[in-house]
Amino acid sequence: MFELDDFSVSFGSGTALRYANLEIREGDRLGIVGESGSGKTMLALCLMGMAPDAATISGRLSIDGQDMTHANERLWQQMRARRVAMIFQEPMTALNPLRRIGDTVMEPLIVHDGLSRAQARMRVLALLEEVGIPDPPARMRMFPHELSGGQRQRVLIALALACNPALLIADEPTTALDANVALRITDLLVRLAHERGMALVFITHDLAAVARTTENIVVMYGGDMVERGPTAQVLANPAHPYTKGLLGARPDPTAPARDANGKRRRLPTLPGTVPPLSALPQGCRFSGRCAVELDYCATTRAPDHAVDANRAAACHLLGGVKP
Amino acid sequence: MGYFIFRRTVGFLLTLLVVSAVVFAVMNVLPGDPALTILGMDATDDALAALREQLGLNQPVLTRYFLWIWNALQGDFGISHSFRVPVSELIAERLPMTVSLAVAGMLFTLVIALTLGIGAAARHRKAGDWGVMFMSQIGIAVPAFWLSMLLVLLFAVKLRWLPPGGFAGWSDPVAAIRSLILPTIALGVVQSAVLARVTRSSALEVMRQDFVRTARASGLSRRRVLWRHVLPNALVPIVTIVGMQFAALVTGTIVIENVFYLPGLGRLIFQSIANRDLPTVQALVMLFAAIVVTANFVVDLLYVVIDPRLKART
Repeated sequence: MFELDDFSVSFGSGTALRYANLEIREGDRLGIVGESGSGKTMLALCLMGMAPDAATISGRLSIDGQDMTHANERLWQQMRARRVAMIFQEPMTALNPLRRIGDTVMEPLIVHDGLSRAQARMRVLALLEEVGIPDPPARMRMFPHELSGGQRQRVLIALALACNPALLIADEPTTALDANVALRITDLLVRLAHERGMALVFITHDLAAVARTTENIVVMYGGDMVERGPTAQVLANPAHPYTKGLLGARPDPTAPARDANGKRRRLPTLPGTVPPLSALPQGCRFSGRCAVELDYCATTRAPDHAVDANRAAACHLLGGVKP
Repeated sequence: MGYFIFRRTVGFLLTLLVVSAVVFAVMNVLPGDPALTILGMDATDDALAALREQLGLNQPVLTRYFLWIWNALQGDFGISHSFRVPVSELIAERLPMTVSLAVAGMLFTLVIALTLGIGAAARHRKAGDWGVMFMSQIGIAVPAFWLSMLLVLLFAVKLRWLPPGGFAGWSDPVAAIRSLILPTIALGVVQSAVLARVTRSSALEVMRQDFVRTARASGLSRRRVLWRHVLPNALVPIVTIVGMQFAALVTGTIVIENVFYLPGLGRLIFQSIANRDLPTVQALVMLFAAIVVTANFVVDLLYVVIDPRLKART
């Protein structure tokens, strides 16, 4: 359905996305994890045809077999909402503050599906019901500032679902929400994807959320897809040093708060920080922070190596052969 | 909400009262004896005294002020010294001219400024944007009276497409519109240049906000996103400026009506000042001030209509 082949995005100052290969089939539930600046949001924006104007794109992106790599805005307007829809990180500011909820959700139905206001209203009532908003007729008349963050995110989900997209991209949909609200939104997304047979791309840095929601996972670092495979297997037995480090950085609630000397234990972290786009190493992006680095890692990009039948990781250590 | 409107209404009425006091005070400390002006230099002392008595000029200032307010509230602004007819009749006769011109100027300003401003924002840092910014810079720099003369020279004298001046009323709508075109442009160019800049910068600010991305992600066309989502959110600063501009347009008619020989209030106030026609000047200054204050009052109310969030806060 959606296919990326050696898809790269670069700006004057550096490369935001490098040789991305990805296939999303009908009903897939895919998690994309990585730190800020790993390129996961750029990937999502490219799937929506909403990469910034300054970006240079190479490789190939196709939707339903149609080449969309350099498609114009008009063609993308046909795809958005109907084939692919997206919800964003910040529900507090993602809704037009001057519009009633009902008018906002009705708009794509009227514009794309040519429904009358009355028909669109009926559809919106059903949609709001479906995403778990109580008393939809009253909520439709409200303005965004009258709703809580969780309610607004539900409205945004209803808006994204309005024209029955084949793929829903959720870009950190729960980061701005309370933990218990976040959990309910995550479960809602999985339920909706399942009921509608809709593909879901779930972008997050929350590994627990990914484990709950997705079947497959792609780990990103510095614009590279460093590891991929079934979510449960990757999380249980990571192959790439970055994935190992990321999993190692999860706080362990069972560990004692103080060590043997009575000192407060520090939370485990990955050493170093993600360098800026322009300062990333040419070879493996993780070199410089990697614990098991080889001498040519910084200069030579690591190809995908099969870990087992349906898993791969981009690390020289897994190749076994020096170039 | 109700309290907000109540507060603004009280403020509006108080402002008008202060304005009336200032207008009255200024007019009455001006040098020159109205009676002398009316009767001429060689009038007898007796005649002057009789006229002063008749005009009520011998009464204390405060009495005259409150009498003026009281009569004005009933639509009586006294008798014009130079035209010898009630001032209210003079105003009623010329008001349609000035209102037509001011409204036409406002419409011209809104259409030009919103189109160019939103268009420039959509083409941020591209040729179209630079073009609009350059044109608006010129528009701001050109004085209205000079532009009026150039317009008359080109379109009336050289090309003979439009009349050079005058206005025969709305009984012949085509002729009326033709006579309004040049004055409207002369009046509106500066204001639309200013407003186009305000619109552009306000729209650019809104376009950075998250909900614009949401609207694009719903597959809406750029045009629809701009006019239906960006513009309404950019309106608060625009409306603020429009309120001030309406005042500037109404007072701007004084110059424009004189250049184009239009029989409106602007020409009347000019003639009345030259004739030392105190009751007429006083009434007209008060009227212009009231229009300005009313425009600001309307803007205050519009804020609440534009932004539902203000209802909760006020």
